Amino acid sequence: MSRYLLRRAPSALLVLFLASVLIFLVIRAIPGDAAAVLAGPDAPPEVVAAIRHDLGLDRSLVGQYLHWLGGLLTGELGRSYLIGGDIAELVGDGLGNTVVLTLAALVIAVLVALLLGPLWAATRSRWVDRALTAFHTAAVALPTFVTGVVLIIVFGVVFRVLPTGGVPPDGMFDRLDITAQYLVLPAVCLGLPVAGVLTGFLAETLRGELRQDYVTTVRAAGVRRRDIVLGHALRGALPVAVTTLGLQAGALLGGAVLVESIFAWPGLGLLVEQGITRRDYPLVQVLLMLSVAVFVLVQLFTDVVHAWLDPRIRLGATS
Amino acid sequence: MSVEVLRVSGLEVSFGGAPAVRGIDFTVGAGEIVAVVGESGSGKSVTARAILGLLPATASTGGSVRLDGRELLGADEESLRRVRGREIAMVFQEPSTALNPVHTVGRQLAAVLRAHRDLTREQARQEAVRLLDLVGIPDPATRVRFYPHQLSGGQKQRVVIALALANDPRLIIADEPTTALDVTVQAEILALLRDLRDRLGAAILLITHNMGVVADLADRVAVLHRGRLVEQAPVHDLFAAPTRAYTRELLAAVPRLGHRPPAPAHDTPTDALRLDGVVVRYRDFVAVDRVDLRVRQGEVVGLVGESGSGKSTIGKVAAGLLRPDAGTVTVLDGDPRDRAIRRAIGFVFQDPGGSLDPRLSIEDCVGEPLRVHRTATGTAYRRRVADLLDAVRLPTGYARRRPRELSGGQRQRVGIARALALDPRLIIADEPTSALDVSVQATVLALLTDLQRDLGFACLFISHDLAVVDTLAHRVAVLHRGTVVEEGPHHEVLRTPTQPYTRRLVDSVPIPDPTAQRTRHTHPREAVPVT
Repeated sequence: MSRYLLRRAPSALLVLFLASVLIFLVIRAIPGDAAAVLAGPDAPPEVVAAIRHDLGLDRSLVGQYLHWLGGLLTGELGRSYLIGGDIAELVGDGLGNTVVLTLAALVIAVLVALLLGPLWAATRSRWVDRALTAFHTAAVALPTFVTGVVLIIVFGVVFRVLPTGGVPPDGMFDRLDITAQYLVLPAVCLGLPVAGVLTGFLAETLRGELRQDYVTTVRAAGVRRRDIVLGHALRGALPVAVTTLGLQAGALLGGAVLVESIFAWPGLGLLVEQGITRRDYPLVQVLLMLSVAVFVLVQLFTDVVHAWLDPRIRLGATS
Repeated sequence: MSVEVLRVSGLEVSFGGAPAVRGIDFTVGAGEIVAVVGESGSGKSVTARAILGLLPATASTGGSVRLDGRELLGADEESLRRVRGREIAMVFQEPSTALNPVHTVGRQLAAVLRAHRDLTREQARQEAVRLLDLVGIPDPATRVRFYPHQLSGGQKQRVVIALALANDPRLIIADEPTTALDVTVQAEILALLRDLRDRLGAAILLITHNMGVVADLADRVAVLHRGRLVEQAPVHDLFAAPTRAYTRELLAAVPRLGHRPPAPAHDTPTDALRLDGVVVRYRDFVAVDRVDLRVRQGEVVGLVGESGSGKSTIGKVAAGLLRPDAGTVTVLDGDPRDRAIRRAIGFVFQDPGGSLDPRLSIEDCVGEPLRVHRTATGTAYRRRVADLLDAVRLPTGYARRRPRELSGGQRQRVGIARALALDPRLIIADEPTSALDVSVQATVLALLTDLQRDLGFACLFISHDLAVVDTLAHRVAVLHRGTVVEEGPHHEVLRTPTQPYTRRLVDSVPIPDPTAQRTRHTHPREAVPVT
């Protein structure tokens, strides 16, 4: 397994390096001079030049890149232009909230998929099939800014049972029941599209597994249909489901930006949104890099899990 | 006859109005082995699945299937489930797909055991070990933790049989249980089935197309043709005196070892194909190890071997599709990777369905080499294709059809016509008849033999089937683990083999004659006289 990881590591590092170059160049290509903006419209040229020197913007492009890369590697992420403060601190504050939100969404998505996927694949009832088709279509098709608003209207305005924004006042781990109340709407909103995609993929893979010869073998031996679906076919469908889940991690990261601003959840998504609208480029740079790194890590992780789940890869083919 | 276990009467199965089985009757007695034989499309597998209610939902059934007088056809899913595995179990054709690749064999056996019996995990595991031992898997306590891909093809099929035996069924339906296996492994599996019947007294319903297997194992035979039962008789009577024309044709089509007079030796000095010290490695695995092989002009050389022996790899090397790691390949005094030389090589593939582009018409399939090498256009092109179709005895009207409108045998004729398009001096045929029914195989082999005689091309004929090779090869080379173990005139190698491996191979081929085949079991070491 560690050999497998070592083999995959160089390509992951290459992706990270190329992403850092691309992100750096794209941010530099955006028109406008950060120093001029910071200094204000009436500032004399000397002040603008001083600020430019202060930010290191008067150095060559390669010099700026290497300085930034060195900072990334040593944890010196630099200072935000406009929000103010150390970027490392800003990211650190938001990261915890975003991790809690995305993990909750992930758990919801996985539970829904594990429950509905096998049901959808194995059902013989036309009504169950129709209901699940409708759920799948709606979950995949509805954007989070629609489901978010609908959830807020239903549970926050009409029934007034759940808080519609913010985080628990005394921190995430103070009282878990309160945290759950704050978490449920944004997590459902964020997890729903992922749950839809995952349910669809799992059901389709399961249907494929149920057509396999080995299913006929155990069926002919008198194993119950329930046990066939849950004990045999589901195990075979898991590797594909894990890979799909890894790809959906990107959707979760992107979705977090919208969901956090809908539910005023002070996480990285909200930080990204503020950074972009205020053109706080060093902050945006770091956040983009962070999301690329998370995505690469998730891919690496799902590849390893996929290999571990499949004994033909894990133990090697002998015949 | 003994107590009747299964009675099938008036069984009919159709798929969306198209009948597959049109009213058949037969019985299976306790401890009896009944073979249902027929070619593809005869309805034999559908019959087997209908008995256990394993047909897809689109099938509609009629008639009756009774197990000890209880009706199985149309029974509800739960009562069928109780029958499956406990009273009637099934063994499938393809051991590589019949087992779940992500579960250990022990876990699969335990799941099947616990479907019918109240066992703890530990008891089920012990029972699984006992079953693996019963079907002759060495070191069962270790192998029970193996995944299917860690076992050989024959061991996998033994596990499939263990799954069927798990709950002591009284009837085992074996659907082509040895078709996907090598001859030596086939012989072992057939011996195992015979032994299980003798020891456990289970009745076996054997579904097969292989008359050799029937002669080896069956007590009684039912011949199916297009969904109807043509003939039913004890095995000795059927082989000795078939009463129906179809049965006679079927028996006549079965290739036998040693039924052709020795072919005259080829003394042409020029070689069409010459391999010298060819070595092919796939990473650490040596697939072909220092092979020397010659095919003279106008000679047919049969290359036989079991799966993994490297025979297809040699075919690829000879066709210039694969560069050997060491050694030289010479085709017609040139390099097979040279375009001009390659024009003189024709290739016939195993799977006629997969090797024809489904979107091209038959004319374009056959004429593709002509277009690629720009040898003929316009009317000359069409005339050449018409000649080729005529040569493989296909009607000219087929030129406009698509591959899927043709039967398997017709498609293989198209494949041969395509290989002949550029008047090749060397044809490489890789298992060209192994996907075909025996009667179709016989006609395709006869066609190939005639074409070879008329056109005089050299041929490297690759096959795992010794009897097929014996019907048309002049010389035979036997391949074992990447090396040629024996080589010589076909009648010598295949009738009086000198090498132990070849002898084992020849002895494993079931003879389509129950008397001769059973003599072999009673006197195993005395080679059966083959004239």
